[in-house]
Amino acid sequence: MRTLRKYGPLYVMMVPVVVYFLVYAYYPLVRGLQTSFQDYRLMGDRPYVGWSNYSAVLHDTSFQEALVNTFIIGGSILLIGFAAPLVVALSLNEVLQAWYKKLAQMVLYIPHLLSWVVIGGMWIFLLSPDNGLVNLLLVKAGLDQPVNFLADPGWARWIMILLAVWKDMGYNCILFLAGIMSINPSLYEAARMDGASRWQQVRFVTLPQLSSTMKVIFLLNTLGILRIFDEVFILRNPTTAPKVDVLMMYTFQKGMVDIQIGTAAAASFFVVLLTLALTLVVRWVTRFDEV
Amino acid sequence: MSERYDRLGWANKCFDALNALFLLALMLTMIIPFLNVIALAFSSGVASMQPDIILFPKSFSLEGFRTVWENLDLWRPFLNSAIVTVAGTALHVLLSCLAGYVLIHPELPGKRIMVTFILITMMVPQEAVMIPLYIVNKDLHLINTLSVLVLSGLVSGFSILLMRNFFLGVPYEMAESAKIDGAGEFRIFLTMYMRLATAGLATVTLFEFVGRWNAFTAAVMFINDSMKYTLQLALKSMIVDTGAVSSNYLITTNVRMAGIIISILPLLAVYPFVQKYFMKGILLGASKE
Repeated sequence: MRTLRKYGPLYVMMVPVVVYFLVYAYYPLVRGLQTSFQDYRLMGDRPYVGWSNYSAVLHDTSFQEALVNTFIIGGSILLIGFAAPLVVALSLNEVLQAWYKKLAQMVLYIPHLLSWVVIGGMWIFLLSPDNGLVNLLLVKAGLDQPVNFLADPGWARWIMILLAVWKDMGYNCILFLAGIMSINPSLYEAARMDGASRWQQVRFVTLPQLSSTMKVIFLLNTLGILRIFDEVFILRNPTTAPKVDVLMMYTFQKGMVDIQIGTAAAASFFVVLLTLALTLVVRWVTRFDEV
Repeated sequence: MSERYDRLGWANKCFDALNALFLLALMLTMIIPFLNVIALAFSSGVASMQPDIILFPKSFSLEGFRTVWENLDLWRPFLNSAIVTVAGTALHVLLSCLAGYVLIHPELPGKRIMVTFILITMMVPQEAVMIPLYIVNKDLHLINTLSVLVLSGLVSGFSILLMRNFFLGVPYEMAESAKIDGAGEFRIFLTMYMRLATAGLATVTLFEFVGRWNAFTAAVMFINDSMKYTLQLALKSMIVDTGAVSSNYLITTNVRMAGIIISILPLLAVYPFVQKYFMKGILLGASKE
């Protein structure tokens, strides 16, 4: 009773959050699990159908394609989106003029601030074969045929990957820079005493000291692989769909367009399971807990 | 910093120049597209449709802005977005602060359960449960309302832990002595913690503001009535879906680009603050227990 009087107000403060999570995080999970075993109709009864939704998903070739696309596109974004900002952060760190460094950071961060609709809309226009800036420049540079980047299945995946890396470049870069800033300056001093060159200081001081930052960034970005949706939703079209539709796109298509809610719920659960599996693998590989 | 290297060496100077050029080239991939968009938005309709490389407005005109705002009624989605963003951000910040404050009390019984309860919600990405979420919202009759957009992501484990980390920076003894003087939890929360953790408040507010203004997935899922469209949905249908013709007007390039500019203005307004607070926020948020 005394505890209740002492801590009562605190529990009251927690109530809205608990209610919200119960309704919007836990209940949907349960409800989704239930739905994935149902023949879910919008009207009428919803008979249980066992595992048939799951097996329908697994045998669906477009699901298999979506799985492959997710790992190719997501995996490439993960790797290139890790390496490129690291290189840029190291490069920024070598800039001595403070104003130039600040300016570059500011400019590089802008695309991350904008939505995929804006970024996608902009690039659809920039990459258009008729009067897009990129093709105008390419033709001027001597290319005889403008390339229809977004309608060409060969290009579409690369566009998705590169745009995602480009968009989040500044964001990841600032994370790396924060890591670099926290390296003890006396390490560089000691390295210089030993006659280390500029490159050797990067190689033997900065990079090893940055390893824990790298692990954190890699872990944070890994979970993004399965969440890719907005970009694909905006930049896809029927020609490129088999090469770029990712898992979330498949779920959306099944649930909201084909109205096969049971199947879509089953597909959602594959995504949830994959998320958990991926988290565990990354934790194990990077030994996150030691950080 | 300036003593870090021997600045006089020929090779070093050469490297510095190349390095600066590399960054310049990278910056240009961001600057040129935006200049192109701005130039087209301020050009006349005819000029904006011609295949030409333009980085400055050609036959300057504001007709793109007028058309998109008045004839295509962009003001309505703009208003919807503003309502959802402001209401959603305010509630999100309030709830995150309340929960964050609760979690700083070291001896609170059941604290571990609460933390686990919150951490689990962070393991499952919102996107992965969007079909079940659709069903839940449909049962609650929230499809095609603005409330559903306020409710989606009303609070997040990330923000709660972020606020908690900021609150931990406020000396706990202060709260304890205030309690001995008879102040209640709500008063301590409002008058001490909310005031002393303004950097945290700013961080969460800015993150949430930008995130909500740009929110797309939830809007696509839960809204299909064009009167309830948010700016992102309206832009999507205007820029991506249409060929060049809407029911009444030919949507020229300058109109689309004007739509883009209008939609990023509020973000540019908060951008300087984002730069300032974002690093602190990320670092505190990423550092766990």
